[in-house]
Order: sequence, then C-alpha cells, then structure tokens
Amino acid sequence: MGGRRLSLVAVGFAVMAVLLGGAVGQASSRGGKTEVQPARTYGFLDLGKEKGYRLALYMPDKRVVVFYAYRLDQGESENFGIRYSLYAVRNRGDLEQGVVRARFGSLGRVDLRFRPGGRVNRDDPQSGCEGGMETARFGSFVGRLRFRGSGNYFHVSSSKGKAFVAHSPRLRCEAGQAEGVTGGSLRGYVTPSPLISDNDSIALLDASGHRHGRQVRISAVHEEGSPPGAEIQLGIAESRHGMAIGHGIYFEGARGTLLTSLPGAHPATATLSPPAPFFGKGVYSEENQSWSGSLGVKVAGLKVPLTGPGFHVHLCVANALKDRNGCEYFKGEPAADERAARPGWDLR
Amino acid sequence: MRALRVAAAVLVLVVFAGVGGGAAAEAKGRAPERWLDMELQGSDGYSVHISSGPSGHLNLEVSKGWFAATYVTRDQLAAPDRVKAQLRGLGTVSVRFHPRGPVRQPTAPYCSKKQRPTLQPGLVRGTIKFTGERDYVRVEADEAKASIEESKRGSCRYASPPEFDPRERDWVSKFTASGDGVFFLARRYQPGALPTGDALYFTETGELFKETAALPWLLIWREIKVPAPASTFQDAHPEHLTITPPPPFSGTGSFARTPESVFTWEGDLALQFPGLDPIALAGSTFEPGYCLREWGCIDQHLD
Repeated sequence: MGGRRLSLVAVGFAVMAVLLGGAVGQASSRGGKTEVQPARTYGFLDLGKEKGYRLALYMPDKRVVVFYAYRLDQGESENFGIRYSLYAVRNRGDLEQGVVRARFGSLGRVDLRFRPGGRVNRDDPQSGCEGGMETARFGSFVGRLRFRGSGNYFHVSSSKGKAFVAHSPRLRCEAGQAEGVTGGSLRGYVTPSPLISDNDSIALLDASGHRHGRQVRISAVHEEGSPPGAEIQLGIAESRHGMAIGHGIYFEGARGTLLTSLPGAHPATATLSPPAPFFGKGVYSEENQSWSGSLGVKVAGLKVPLTGPGFHVHLCVANALKDRNGCEYFKGEPAADERAARPGWDLR
Repeated sequence: MRALRVAAAVLVLVVFAGVGGGAAAEAKGRAPERWLDMELQGSDGYSVHISSGPSGHLNLEVSKGWFAATYVTRDQLAAPDRVKAQLRGLGTVSVRFHPRGPVRQPTAPYCSKKQRPTLQPGLVRGTIKFTGERDYVRVEADEAKASIEESKRGSCRYASPPEFDPRERDWVSKFTASGDGVFFLARRYQPGALPTGDALYFTETGELFKETAALPWLLIWREIKVPAPASTFQDAHPEHLTITPPPPFSGTGSFARTPESVFTWEGDLALQFPGLDPIALAGSTFEPGYCLREWGCIDQHLD
C-alpha cells in the first residue's frame, strides 16, 4: 500500500483544498490575459483534538463559517485512511469586524469576537498576481462556541485555541492565477474533493445515489501493478436547515476489498467489501444492473446505506495492456454542476 | 558458509564499479589499465577463463554451451603480472606471468584504433586449482597460456556488448520475474525469427558470500540461456501466460490476473544449474512483468 499512501502533508493540503475548493475559480476575467482576484477576509480557529478528530472553525470568506473535523487512521494492516466532516453555514456576524456569529441547526452555535494578539504576518501575493500584501493577524476568539456532532461523536464547548484573521487585497493576476471567493451555494464549501485518481486504474467501481436530499458516492479503484487491495473514497453531501454538510472518507482497503470479473467477461460482476468504518458488502451484477447487499458506512454518528436501487453504478475492468490509460472514468465525466441528479463531485 | 543473495542489478554495480572508475581515471591521464588473462580447459568440456585487472578482483569464469558461471573474489596482490586469490573453499589461484614473444596490437570489435590495447602473450606459472560445486567442473594446472592486455586510452574491455544474435532484440512478447538474487527472462519471437527456436529463456543469479575473519568474500554469478520452440510460451490471452521451458528448466510458470486485478506468477517452474539444487523461479516472492511489443507492459509490484 506504500505506493498509494498519501503523505500527512498531502492530506493536510487535501483537507484544506476541500475547504477552499468552493472558494476557487470565481475570479473575473476580461479578455483572457488578466483577471481580478477580489479582496477577501478569512479566518481560522484551531479547536484542538477530541476523540481522535482534529477540530477547527474556518471562515473561508466573510460570509461563511465552516466547522470541520478530520482524523487520520492507521488501520490494523497499516493501511492509511482519513475521514472528515464539514458543516457550513452563513456568518451572521461581520468577519471584517472580527465577529463570527452562526447557528449550526441543532448541532451548535458560535458567537465569537476576534481579539488580535501582537503578531502580524505579511505575505506577498501568490505567484502571477500583484496589488498588495496579504496581512494575517494572529490572536484568539472570545465568546461562546458549542458544537455537538451527530451521535455525540465529538463535543466542543470552548473557543480556546490559536486563531488568525487574514485580509487579502484586490489583486490583478495573470489568467489562471487568481483565487476568488464564490458567491455560490454553501454546498460548494463542503463537497468532498477526490483524493484518489483513476490514473492507470484497471478496476474501478463507482456507485452514487441521491435519497432524501442526501447525495452519496463511493468509489473503489485498483491501480495497475499495485498490491492486492483498492483505494476507497466516500463522499456524502446534504443540505439541512440552512446548513450544508459534507462527509468524506479515504481508505486504503486491504486484500479482498474489490473483486471483479476479468476484462471482457460478461455479464460483468463486482463485489466491494471495504474496511471499517464501512460495513457489509455490495454486489454489482451487469446482468440485471443490480447493486445490492448490506454495504454501508458509519460516519460522523450516521449510519448510511450504500446500496439499493436508487444508486447509479459504473464498473470498469480495463485490460492492463490494451487500455493504456486505464479506466479514465473520472476524467470523462461531465462537470459536477451538470449532473444535478448525481453527487456534486469536483472533477479534474 | 552463510550466503546472502542480493539483487543482480546491485551486483552489477559492485563488480563493475571498479572498472568504470579505472576507465575514468585513465581518461584523466592516470596509469594505463592492465589485465592478466589465462585460458584453461576444465573437466567435462567446460572452459575456464581467469582474469585479474585494475579493480583488484579476480574473475574465474566457467562456461559451456548456454551456461556460464563467474566467481569473483579479491586479488590479494593486485599486481599486473601476479595473482593470488582464495576462492573460498573452491580453489586457489597463485601465479606469476612470464612473457613469451613480441607485443601485439590486435583489432577488437567495437574498439577504435586509438583505444586498441596492446597484448603481451606469455604463460603463467604457479598454482591454479578450482573445483566447482559438487565437482561439476575441475581444473588444476601449474602452468597455463596467458596474456597481459594493456590499454592506454581507456579500456574497450567492457565497451563491447556481450555476444548475442541481434535478432534476439526483436521479441514479440516478453516476460520477466525478479526475485531475491534471481532474474528470469522469457521472450517469444515471430515464427522463424531466430534459427534456434521461437522462444528464448534466460536466467541469471547472483550470490554473495560475505567476508569473514578467516575467509575472503566471494561473489558468484550464474547465467543460462536456452532456446526453445514457441509452444513453450503460451500467451494467446493478453493477460494470461503459461511458460514451460525445456531442461535444465523444469515445471511450469503461470502469469494471470486475479479478480483482485493483481497479477500473479505461480507454478513449479525451477532451474537446475550445474552443481546446485533446483532453484524456484515462480511464486509470490517474484515481481513479474509482461510486455507485448505492440501494446505495452504490465509490472506487478509486491506488497
């Protein structure tokens, strides 16, 4: 599994990318040569660790507050895994004034004010942009904070922790260099980004479903030449009472995780048995286009079934010699916003 | 003797690092390279070639037909006209060179005129005693034909590729299996592409016996190449291959994709080198690779 292992740094970036993902790509471009990156204020509060989860409050822009929790797992067979949950709501306070005020439905609320400390960092704009320095002011938040995860899988009631509020001025950037702030839906802030790639994959199973406003997607990939096992990724996104919730899981599944028929065999079949926090088994049959079994996942206090007639399933079993680029499934898909009936999934 | 098998590629570096260093030194105008070579006839039709060069190693090569074994150890003297080496229970070489006749400058393939070495013919006298494992070969002499090769402008000694039929490069499909100190290669050709058969099997092993307080280190390379009919290499299905090479190989190796999309290399395929027990060439400790020239390659990595 070592070849597939993500470094902790990569994971850190990946998690942040999930948070920032919704905030990228909205910069305005005129004429195609330059584009404008709007001024932006954002903030962060590290809430420490609880029950194995790293917890934080993140304000990707002045309008949105995201509570996030993630944990890294090292399974019994030394397989690597990461799981994270994101809860995004509107900020009713004014971050530019250091005020964060938001309700996370029945899960919690925050009413905080930023108290700057002495330290200030100033950074040049990112490469390809000009227009002024970004200023990050470090300090702490004071006030009330309460957040209880579904099923009490974590419970935070203190706002103590390192914090900063940063301001980035309006920048003029070369085309493609600007990072913007989305004015779109809260969903964009919690939609899981892919941590696996279909590059050189020779077996790929992807199942996605939409039920009661909750979009669920599980993908399993085996890369050519890799040892027995498969990479598993789960993404769940839903909106509830003005809050967008996203859950993501990446795991390296051990031997027996994904079994398929061989290339060219029809009807094609596949069995998916990922490790905990997944449970049960999903069975796909091309013959009757069925996706059945007891497969499910326990995530953030929820128990979510991952099979059933409401799922759309895609199975690819590529010939390792003839299909040179493997399954290439994710690349071939339409952009997330073109698939209203499918989970919003940031595609490369 | 406690044997430590090491990967063939690593051994290549160990053995030839000295040679490369010598050539580089020569290119910078240092002392010319000198090699002492001896030719002998061993028992049971084996040829024996002994050489000692600037790397300070003694090489004793035993060959017959498609088989060759090279025993490498430290030359205790490392002088251009004298050799003294212990082959760790297999023999001893302790000789001195005596020139006979005029120096010649023979042509050598792949060697430019400027790089052409000089050759001092002669003979060595002293003790040459070698017995292969389980007596598969014996050689014993107190005198042998020899020569000293001297190269002033960089040696061509390893510049020339090993002798092989260039048509061997034109394989259609190829299978490799790399194990701990063992490398197996099988190639299949278009019908009639090679005069010897439409399939070719090659195996190379490297074995290193580490130096102890009483014994010097000894490195043993063994290799064999065997031609065979195409029927021994069955790969009609592009992800499934069965190999049944002729003696001294035995058994069958099978490469296949599992429902896990992992490629396995299993079976009872083995090879018996002269003087040794059969060594396994298939199993879960080997990393297999399979190529179709027209399509590409599959390389399966181990856990």
